[in-house]
Amino acid sequence: MLLTSILFCLFLVIGQAQGQDFMRSTGKINVVFGVIFIIFCGIIVFLILLDRKLSKLENRINHE
Amino acid sequence: MIFKIHWWKYLGILLLVYVLFVGILNPLKPGIYDLEPNRFITNQQVNIKVKGYNTNFTKGSVISYLKTGNSFLLKASQVNIINDTDLETVFDLPPHLPGKLNLVQCSFIIDSDFDGTSVLPSKIILSQDSINEIAGNLSWTLTKSPGFHIKHTSRFPYRNILYETIRNTFFHVSLWFAMFSMLMVSVYYAIRYLKTQNRDFDLRSSSLVKTAMLFGVLGLATGSLWARNTWDTWWTNDIKLNMSALSMLIYFAYLILRSSIEDPDRRARISGAYNIFALVAVVPLIFVLPRLTDSLHPGNGGNPAFGSDDMDNVLRLVFYPAVIGFSILGFWMAQLQYRLDRLSSVLDDQEDK
Repeated sequence: MLLTSILFCLFLVIGQAQGQDFMRSTGKINVVFGVIFIIFCGIIVFLILLDRKLSKLENRINHE
Repeated sequence: MIFKIHWWKYLGILLLVYVLFVGILNPLKPGIYDLEPNRFITNQQVNIKVKGYNTNFTKGSVISYLKTGNSFLLKASQVNIINDTDLETVFDLPPHLPGKLNLVQCSFIIDSDFDGTSVLPSKIILSQDSINEIAGNLSWTLTKSPGFHIKHTSRFPYRNILYETIRNTFFHVSLWFAMFSMLMVSVYYAIRYLKTQNRDFDLRSSSLVKTAMLFGVLGLATGSLWARNTWDTWWTNDIKLNMSALSMLIYFAYLILRSSIEDPDRRARISGAYNIFALVAVVPLIFVLPRLTDSLHPGNGGNPAFGSDDMDNVLRLVFYPAVIGFSILGFWMAQLQYRLDRLSSVLDDQEDK
């Protein structure tokens, strides 16, 4: 849920705020950067989720 | 010692760094960006302004041609070079067109001994008042191979509409390949769980599915952004898009199924069986159905992908490392997820005792 909503927000930011001129200038190279940015954000989201699960696990171990 | 166990992770990092650098920095081949005007009536002298992309018009000699669909050529009478990316070309259009049609679509060709040949397909539309096939055929030259300069370089191919986004092949397409390899390995572990009843295999299988889902969502997102700027829409009714969204839903159901069963052994058995059926359903959805109908994706709607029309050898040099690199990244992420899940299940078992 968190993941999809973050990605959806990303879309809006990249696609709408910058407009099509930005994405389609200089041979549409910014589309490639946008795609790489989305993948990067996906990996970051994965790391955040992993971090949260790890903290939960640590809490359980510490409380025993 | 650590390097010996984790060598494949370093290999993945190396491959991804290579893909990022070469995939972004290697320039495109020269091509024709646009030209105007593009609609003419025959029997007049016309002047066409051409904009090149990555071209070097000032170096080497440049000739331009018009080419009809049935291989008739018309050579430009004059080419005025303004700078490296701009030129003006003059054609003396004869009164009649080759063929029996009033309206003829022409490709525009620029041939340079420095840049090689670039084509802008079906851009120019010529119309004539009266049809005279014999005079038309005589005034244009019929030729199959007029001696164009073909340059073999290590640059990426230039395609109109795609332009630089052809580099997304390395990021968007290889994500899907990586997702699919992870799903296949997860089914392998699901089968091993069902055979051995060892719950570690189930955890491996489910963590691979979770990571593959992340890659799938990223694949949909990146594809959508790419589609927005090439097909002019976030989402089309293209069969490949709908079917991959559908297979995402199948795997979402897998995650929901897992989270809804409390007993770990029951959960492992049911989700293992579901996983096998999910892959069996997804293969026809993504790989078979799009080939049976028309699709905007290359290689679908007919013949298999990765024919020479869709994939250039220079692209392959980066694309295959990208597929391997993203797969390794996925397996690495899945491994982290698995180790975490296993630790918490060990902790669960201890608490139960």
